[in-house]
Amino acid sequence: MPHRARKGPSNTPRMSRRQWISALGLGGAAALAGCTGDDGNGGNGNGGNGNGGNGNGGNGNGDSATADEPDPIDLSQSPPEVDGEYHVTEASTFETLNPIYNDEDSAGTAIGYALDMGYTFDQNNEVFGLLFEDIFTEDEGETWTIQIRDGLEFSDPYGQYTAEDFVYYIQEIHQSEWAQSVNSIDWAGVEVEETGELEVQATLANPNIIWPETFAPLEYPIPRDLLEPYVEEEDAEGLQQDEELLELQFAGNMGAYVLDEWIRDGGTQYTRNDEYYLRDLAEDDDLQIFGEAPYFETLQIEIIEEESSRIAAIQTGETDNVALPPNRGQEFIEDDETIVVLTPTPFNNILSVNMRDNGWTAGPGNLFTVTEFRQAIAAAIDKQQYIQGILNGFAQPHYTWQPEFSEWYAGTDELTLWGDPEEGVYGGEARELAEQALEQIDEDYAYDGDTLVDPDGDQVELEIYYNASSDTQELAVDFFANEFESNLGFILNTNAIDATTFSENYWNAEPEGGTDTVNGEEVEWEQPTASNPGPRSVTPEESWDFATIFGLNTYPRNPITNEAFFDGANSSYNPVGYYPGFDAGSVFEEMRNAGSREELAEAFSELLVNLNEEQPYIMLAFGDDIEAYNPDLRGPIANFSSGWDFGAWHKDD
Amino acid sequence: MGLTRYVIARAGWAAFVSFTIVTITFLLLAFAPNPSVSEAATQAALQGGDPAQAVEQERQLRGLDQPLHVRYLDFLEGVYTLDWGWSQNRQQPVTAALWEGIYYTAQYSIPWTVLTLLIGPIVGVYSAANMYSWRDHLATGFAFFGWAIPNFFFGIVLLVIFGVYLQWFPIQYSTSVPVFSLANVHQLFLPVFVLVTGSIGSVMRVSRNESAEFQNAEFMKTAKAKGVSVYRAYAYHVMRPTMVPLSTTIVSQLLVIFLGSSLLVEIVFGIPGLGRITFDALINQDTNLVLGSTLLFTFIAVVGNLIEDLVFTVLDPRISYDDR
Repeated sequence: MPHRARKGPSNTPRMSRRQWISALGLGGAAALAGCTGDDGNGGNGNGGNGNGGNGNGGNGNGDSATADEPDPIDLSQSPPEVDGEYHVTEASTFETLNPIYNDEDSAGTAIGYALDMGYTFDQNNEVFGLLFEDIFTEDEGETWTIQIRDGLEFSDPYGQYTAEDFVYYIQEIHQSEWAQSVNSIDWAGVEVEETGELEVQATLANPNIIWPETFAPLEYPIPRDLLEPYVEEEDAEGLQQDEELLELQFAGNMGAYVLDEWIRDGGTQYTRNDEYYLRDLAEDDDLQIFGEAPYFETLQIEIIEEESSRIAAIQTGETDNVALPPNRGQEFIEDDETIVVLTPTPFNNILSVNMRDNGWTAGPGNLFTVTEFRQAIAAAIDKQQYIQGILNGFAQPHYTWQPEFSEWYAGTDELTLWGDPEEGVYGGEARELAEQALEQIDEDYAYDGDTLVDPDGDQVELEIYYNASSDTQELAVDFFANEFESNLGFILNTNAIDATTFSENYWNAEPEGGTDTVNGEEVEWEQPTASNPGPRSVTPEESWDFATIFGLNTYPRNPITNEAFFDGANSSYNPVGYYPGFDAGSVFEEMRNAGSREELAEAFSELLVNLNEEQPYIMLAFGDDIEAYNPDLRGPIANFSSGWDFGAWHKDD
Repeated sequence: MGLTRYVIARAGWAAFVSFTIVTITFLLLAFAPNPSVSEAATQAALQGGDPAQAVEQERQLRGLDQPLHVRYLDFLEGVYTLDWGWSQNRQQPVTAALWEGIYYTAQYSIPWTVLTLLIGPIVGVYSAANMYSWRDHLATGFAFFGWAIPNFFFGIVLLVIFGVYLQWFPIQYSTSVPVFSLANVHQLFLPVFVLVTGSIGSVMRVSRNESAEFQNAEFMKTAKAKGVSVYRAYAYHVMRPTMVPLSTTIVSQLLVIFLGSSLLVEIVFGIPGLGRITFDALINQDTNLVLGSTLLFTFIAVVGNLIEDLVFTVLDPRISYDDR
């Protein structure tokens, strides 16, 4: 689901759209499978570099856990020695390595070792061309030109990768109705045209000045001749099961390594690709390090599902990289035999409140629909205590819908710091907000001393659901219960649940549509979905009050995507029944129509301030991935883009 | 009833049992919500796409758009033509997936089974012969320890002690190691040890109690009176009748561990065997693979029971098929 339900971080060498989508997808799949615990997703908090906006993680919050930050590789240095193996241990296996159908994070990584995509983002969030020489627009985002690098060769007998391959793949696979490829959504309404042997022009239905950041143009190279038989037969099943695609046999010189074997449930094994095209970049003095890339003789991904076994592997030096759970992070930070890199992520820890009609099970009405009550909830939880006590310090406070490393994050000057006892609103002020909320509802809830009582005079009792396989969530809900009882005077009953069950019966509902008044205007749910089935009167099968099961992506590179969450009736994802109290539609329209990054930033900033005030989801923390590495390894950095230069990663003697 | 007719009748019964189990499994899977489908819908919603279309696509990809009876008939046809379909979650034919799993599972299962069959009865009979001595207590203690400690937990403890601290054994199972090599013996030592200790407990206890009955039997007295050596007496006159009831215990025990504990051991030691394949298939609702592995396990159980019954007559010629 959206939801990266506390899953282990990927050991991702390359930031790609696959990771984005799949971090949603895989985390969710695993969560739905009820199989995720806290195996290594991070908390976060890379204290120290305070460089919000350029991709460097963390905000320098001194209370968060810290680890040494390895220096990025100097790309102008001469090539290091090719030596040894790079061994990665991961928690979950892959469903497919077919690039056309993969939507998983870990599989994206496995494919990425053997097959590059168009571009990536460097540590400064700048586009770095891989298979694409360049991607640019000259008309404020309506028409984009993609220039494919020369000298890219598929394996025999497919020849050179050209614009013809690219266009054919888009038109005949992604824009077809039969192929059901995972990226088809990205190419709907996009006109793609071959304008040269190595040049493609894409005309978007709606101009977008940050099209590359949407990851939509990011495609694996697939040879036309390989696709043609399936296109002629419209054979989706055959395309899915094609051995060349599944084993990446066509990759030619377009990947750093050659996939030797994929052992399902066991992992993948690769050998170095002597023909790797990226070596040509070394002609540029600033990129000399790629001259002999890549720098490991072999590469292996090993799948070990059991967390303690994975961690033992890094302790004994049997692997070069493992993701750690928050409760083991500090131990490895202090261990000289490993280096720990805290990589910030865009996935948040949130507390969802059910604003639909079957929310607020304590009695009549629904206080969650009142903004002041949601603010009261946000103010009742001490974020630093939550981060220190529950997330072991590996997190940063979350006040609005962007992590601090995002280019679009505008600082906290205009934000209310909910749950910050020192500089924000906490404790007694939460109670005041709750009392303000009580004045806005018709039902007779009131405070009797420190106790919130319902119309019958009984103390309010609410229910919270958490992922049964997550120790962190179990600890967190107990903490929330204490905070709510102390600061807001109601009792919180905790319920463990399997994530699949929660998703099916509590979170999603049968789409019905309907109309309701939102922000003073009558609006209609014209395209209801299971995740936004209609107005608040449309409810899932089971009632619930609070949930911690799912976290969400905040899309720091492509903020327009957040339209999916916060535009009320028009959002495709709104299980909690949030109605914006501001003109969200206009704000998103401004964002879509922005002619420059500055205009977009301005519009988005307005959205962030409003979301901070409205707390559609109670925002708690942003976690980091906690990655343990072999100390001899050079390459990983404490940055969201860590891995963008994987071809240059190497081991020092 | 002769042996041939008996085996044919049992095989027919096995086919019926397999058919029933697989049909029930098929129906359970068909009526359970498929997480991949809701996953696809949510992803589409998050990307601003059309969730309904995404659901339709996912259902088509997984073959769920066909009516239930069509899917069932397709499946049955596949079962009898040995075309067990395509595993959606592994992207390979189900038969290939199962063979792959068997390949890795057999590498630890065969030594584990052989060791259990050798050590369990011998220790049990030895224990009975030395009943209430310190040797008996030691053997009993060992048996109960292995039986009581969860394999999953025991495996982790052994990994920590012998893998992390002493570094005598590797933490990670390597699929690139040749099957018949010392390196493979080395990396499989701990999983086999864990499974053997888990399975010999009950075998040893049953054989101890059963053999205690026979060691003072009339035929033992006669054998001893005739000057048969102690070892021969126990091996031929105690062990053999003990094995008759013991074979029931052994088959059921091994099946339980094969189906359950082996999965946990595979997870702890990272072995990509049959247990993990089945578990992952169930979690991901990979229908074809679940049904294929159900068929396989049913086959193993049925054949195991058949072998057990046949072994009865070898061990005790007084048992005849005429009564069955």
